[in-house]
Amino acid sequence: MPEQEQILDYKKLKFKCGLEIHQQLDADNKKLFCDCPALLRQDKADYIVQRKLHAVAGEEGSVDLAAQYQSRLDKEFFYEGYNDTTCLVELDEEPPHEINEDALKIALQIALLMNMKIQPITQVMRKTVIDGSNTGGFQRTTLIARDGFVETEEGKFGITFLYLEEDAARIISREKNKETYRLDRLGIPLVEVVTEPDIKTSKQAQKVALKIGEILRSCKVKRGIGTIRQDVSVSINNGNRVEIKGAQDIDLLPTIVEKEVQRQEKEKNVKAEVRNALPNGETEFLRPMPGSARMYPETDLFLLKISRDLINEVKKTLPKLRKEVEEELMVKGLNHEMIKLLFKENAVEDFKEFLKILDKPQLIAKILLVLPKEIASHEKLSDERINELLSKDILSDVILAVKKKKISESQIKEVLEKIAKGEELGEAIKFEKKETGEIEEKIAKIIKEKPGLSANAYMGLVMKEVHGISGKEAMEIIGKWVK
Amino acid sequence: MNKTNSKPGDYVEIHLSKLIYEGVLLESPETETGIVLLKLDSGYNIGFNKKDILEIRLKKKAKETEEKVEIKKNSEKPNIAMIITGGTIAARLNPKKGGVDWLTSPENLFKFYPELFEKVNVVKIEVPFMKASEDMDYKDWQKIAKIAEKLLNDDNIKGIIITHGTDFLHYTSSALSFFLKDINKPVVLTYSQRSIDRASSDANLNLQCSALAAISDIAEIMLVGHASSNDDFCYAMPGAKVRKLHTSKRDAFKVVNSKPFAKIFPDRIEIISDYKRRNKEKVRIDVGFEEKVALVKVYPGQDADILDYYFKNKYKGIVLEMSGLGHVPSRRARNAWTNKLKEVQDKGMIVCAVSQCIFGRVDALVYSNGREILETGVIYLEDMLAETAFVKLGWVLAKTSKREEVKRLMLENFSHEINDRLEQ
Repeated sequence: MPEQEQILDYKKLKFKCGLEIHQQLDADNKKLFCDCPALLRQDKADYIVQRKLHAVAGEEGSVDLAAQYQSRLDKEFFYEGYNDTTCLVELDEEPPHEINEDALKIALQIALLMNMKIQPITQVMRKTVIDGSNTGGFQRTTLIARDGFVETEEGKFGITFLYLEEDAARIISREKNKETYRLDRLGIPLVEVVTEPDIKTSKQAQKVALKIGEILRSCKVKRGIGTIRQDVSVSINNGNRVEIKGAQDIDLLPTIVEKEVQRQEKEKNVKAEVRNALPNGETEFLRPMPGSARMYPETDLFLLKISRDLINEVKKTLPKLRKEVEEELMVKGLNHEMIKLLFKENAVEDFKEFLKILDKPQLIAKILLVLPKEIASHEKLSDERINELLSKDILSDVILAVKKKKISESQIKEVLEKIAKGEELGEAIKFEKKETGEIEEKIAKIIKEKPGLSANAYMGLVMKEVHGISGKEAMEIIGKWVK
Repeated sequence: MNKTNSKPGDYVEIHLSKLIYEGVLLESPETETGIVLLKLDSGYNIGFNKKDILEIRLKKKAKETEEKVEIKKNSEKPNIAMIITGGTIAARLNPKKGGVDWLTSPENLFKFYPELFEKVNVVKIEVPFMKASEDMDYKDWQKIAKIAEKLLNDDNIKGIIITHGTDFLHYTSSALSFFLKDINKPVVLTYSQRSIDRASSDANLNLQCSALAAISDIAEIMLVGHASSNDDFCYAMPGAKVRKLHTSKRDAFKVVNSKPFAKIFPDRIEIISDYKRRNKEKVRIDVGFEEKVALVKVYPGQDADILDYYFKNKYKGIVLEMSGLGHVPSRRARNAWTNKLKEVQDKGMIVCAVSQCIFGRVDALVYSNGREILETGVIYLEDMLAETAFVKLGWVLAKTSKREEVKRLMLENFSHEINDRLEQ
């Protein structure tokens, strides 16, 4: 990559580059304009609804019917829904509910962390989308803040706009005149961060994306594949702007930008178009650059007023950036690997919560991150299933039981195993107080069966076979037999 | 803020103490008169408190251009007429200004509903008034009926479509079912639950199917609208047997205690039940209406004194939405109705019984409480919808106030309002 940096003289090329980053929010796991859970599903849909879209007369009252749209209008769209997790709002059969306040607060946090000016009076808009991915024929989107910046090692970069909007439905299948979408993703809250086109090199593009990513992840956002989408716009020599979608891997961003610059250098007439990023950093044509979308107000909602009080409230709860949190966790005595895992599993908040119950960072990290995984693999349970069985509430109850000395630390794993096998929490934490004599007998038996091993080896066997005893106690008994 | 010469639609600069914003000035929402709305170049709308604005500087006047549209009439297509009365289906948000425009000209209709014009020539559009349906009353029904009569007796016109708000649409469809006599052609009422500025609007399918219904063989007053949440077909439903049963869904209207006339797809009709055929009769109107009728829902513990109110205010008739098979609090209740019912009827008021169950028939004979009420003289209206009963009672009382005659007419089936055979 350094060699390409040398080859490309960005200044001479009048290189212009900006980013558009879409990030799903975790607003109490609810959608933006209804009370459905923000839950993606793989199981069979409960029902399918069939719809058509129609030409809509535009601003001037004429039918806004660009040629490329016509084909959309002949299509039939099918929407898959679930009785328990999608509702009439996603189906475009009920007006939107009031905007999800948690989502609004998260968006405001992001705006403040990016030093933006918050729009005190704003309006939820309907942005016309007739590719079928929205049942209404539009996406709801709101301008929350503008004119901010982020600071990186490469300097300050402008953030032009922050929008709070709803995600679209998921495409499931495309046939000639028939497309099927799933409603589960429709309405999940999303922020769109738009930067100024003041990025000067491909490396800067990466740095800015990383910085924005860090800020986003310090707030309550969704994690995992598909929860963040990065688009990058590139132009050289005052030519047309090309937008590249779907850059999933930030490490690939500089390559994508460089290859696009090289492509534009070769091309005589660069067309304003949207291209798709490929895994090797090359891009392919996706569609011509759409004209500005028709925007009109969401008439079913009041104007959105963002009060001073709300902004002040949000200011008080501004999250720390990851670096600060990492340092905090370090002080608590967690190692680098655990800290990384906490972030990866999106469990930092839970960790802090549990630590309030029982101030033993290592143990809490183990309960949160290690034990459920071990049990899942031993019991051959899926990640989803184990998270369901050993929910955060259950874990919190188990930790409380430890604190109240209902169970010992050494019994935690066994308790969790029992719960994973279907026992109720109340049952699982009941242990017979075994007589020390009985336990000593068992240990003696183990040692006699396999004579000549080291104390540590016996320890391993004892912990596996004898329950209701802590490691310390076991070692003491083994010590009586093995010198 | 100082006065401004800028109008909604103009491109302006809004000067605040520190910032200047540019964009298109919009109309303030009716409930937010202290706010100025601006559409930014990005298309997003933002607002400002008037008191924060130092100046609104006009940059560019709005263009007043109305695009010309030519609607080609095709002699091979059948001719229909439309009566436009208001409601979502005829309201269009003007994104330039922020306000609502009514769609009343053929040109405007064509712009929004080109598919309607593929099937038919709309040769006449009548606009008696533009109202939300909840603002209408019997005088509006009478106006619509009078226009419909003329259009139905015009040989050049094959059928009519009436567009209407949804809230009280079923009252209007009931009224027309009684007001228009010797019906000869299709009279189709239709609506929209999703505004027409969105690509997903239900108005398109409803209008396409209405057009097909209007040129069909079905000479009935019918409501045509989505059969389900799908955009596949509509039902043509008897005007006096239909009710709004959902606040927001596309298929808000359902036939109660009966069946639709037909399934109507955008390209074909599938008949479901018997109907009156297209014919050469001359349509007459019978639009008399006694305004002093009421529709009252009975609730637990309600005081029968409510009947005194109506009697004192010279009401001639009242439809009571009773419980179950047709009951009100009996002599055994703390607030008994029986004596009061007898009293107001003896003084000449007509009292009719329908059920708040919505589905099913009233029957006073099953329980002693019912027989007790029946003995006071209450007229039990079979399986008639409450809304239809209200409209019909007003219509009947305009003809006669004689109890026996009222009873006979209320129980005569004029326009499918009574169904003798309730199916599963």
